[in-house]
Amino acid sequence: MAIKSYDELNSLELDTLREIGSMGTGNAATALSQMLHREVRITLPEVRIMGYNEAIEWIGGPEEITAGVLVKLSGQINGIMLSVQQLEFVNLVLDSALKKKIKDYSELKELESSALVEVGNIMISTFINALSGLAGMDVKLTVPAFTVDMQGAILAVPMAEYGGQSDYIMTIGGNFVCDNKQVPCRLLMSPDLRSLNALFRKLGVNDE
Amino acid sequence: MSEKRIIGIADMKLAKVEGMLVTYALGSCIGICLHDPAIKLGALVHIMLPLNMETGRKNPMKYADTGIKETLRQMEAMGARRDRITAKIAGGAKMFEESGGALGNIGQRNIESVHLNLKKEGIRLLKEDVGGSVARTLLFDVSSGLCCVRCYGRPELII
Repeated sequence: MAIKSYDELNSLELDTLREIGSMGTGNAATALSQMLHREVRITLPEVRIMGYNEAIEWIGGPEEITAGVLVKLSGQINGIMLSVQQLEFVNLVLDSALKKKIKDYSELKELESSALVEVGNIMISTFINALSGLAGMDVKLTVPAFTVDMQGAILAVPMAEYGGQSDYIMTIGGNFVCDNKQVPCRLLMSPDLRSLNALFRKLGVNDE
Repeated sequence: MSEKRIIGIADMKLAKVEGMLVTYALGSCIGICLHDPAIKLGALVHIMLPLNMETGRKNPMKYADTGIKETLRQMEAMGARRDRITAKIAGGAKMFEESGGALGNIGQRNIESVHLNLKKEGIRLLKEDVGGSVARTLLFDVSSGLCCVRCYGRPELII
C-alpha cells in the first residue's frame, strides 16, 4: 500500500527507515571521524514524524541560532537533507580543522564557514551514498547551501517544501558522540512521499 | 508588558483590548497582523504556503489565501469592521541561497500571495518587512497596533 501521509507509516516501514538512518549516520560518523582525527560514534538513530511545532520544540526551540547546511536531493529520491550544527559541534570542527574556537556565530568568517559547509556536505554525501547503494537508486545532490540563523526558520525549509502534501514532517537522523561526549549535530533527511514509496518498493518492504 | 500569546506555524490567535501576539522564527513563512484599532481587536496568522490546493482542507491557517479569509471571518464575528481593519506583515525570506534555484522561492511566492489576498479582501497594508534572507520573530501589540520585528544580527525594527 502506498502511503499518502507520513503518519501512515507502519512499524515495518519505520524499522526500515531506522535501519537506513543507522547506516547513513554510521557512514557519516566514519567520514567525520576521519576528518577530525577523533573517535566519533553515533547515538541511536531516530525516525520521527512530527507536527510542525512539535518538530521545532524537538530541535531546541525556534529562536536558537544555528548553522545549517542544506542539500537538495533529486533523481530517484527527492528530498532535502540538512545538517544542523549547534555551537558545540561548530567548535569541534573548527578546533580540529583550524585550531580555533568561537563564542558566537558572528565570529564565523569565510574560511570557518567554508569548513562547516564542507563537513556538512561530506556527512550528507556519505549518508546518501550509503542509501543509494543499499536501494540501488540513483540520487543526485545539489551544491550545499549554508546559512546561520534561527533554527526554527531553517527547519521550516523542508516543512514548506513538502507542506502541500502533509501536515507532518518526517526526519531520519541522529546525533554524534565524540570523545565520549554527546555533540549535538543533527543530520536530517526529509524525503517527499513519492520517493518514500519508491524506496519501500525498491527494498521490497512494500509488497504490492 | 501584557500577556504574551504564542502563535505556532500554521496557527492563528486573536486578542482583544490588550495582549502581545508573538510568532517565532519566520523564514519563508509570513506573519500577518490584522488590526481593528477602533475596538482594539488584533489577530496574528502564521502562514506557510501561498495557495490552498489541498483537498479536505483541514488546516486553513497553513495557507495565505484561506488563512486571511478565515481570520477576517473570525474578526468580523467579534465585531470588527472590514473598512477599519489594517494589516502589517513580516517574513517571506529565502533562507538558503542555493545554486540553480532547485528549491524555488517559496518566500517570494508567499509575499505575492499575501499582497494579492489582502487586496482582494479590501484590507489596507500599512507596513511590511519582507524578503531578504533573514529569519524574523514578530511581536504584535494589540492595544497600540505596533509590531516589532526581531532578527539575528540586525537591530530590532518597529513597524
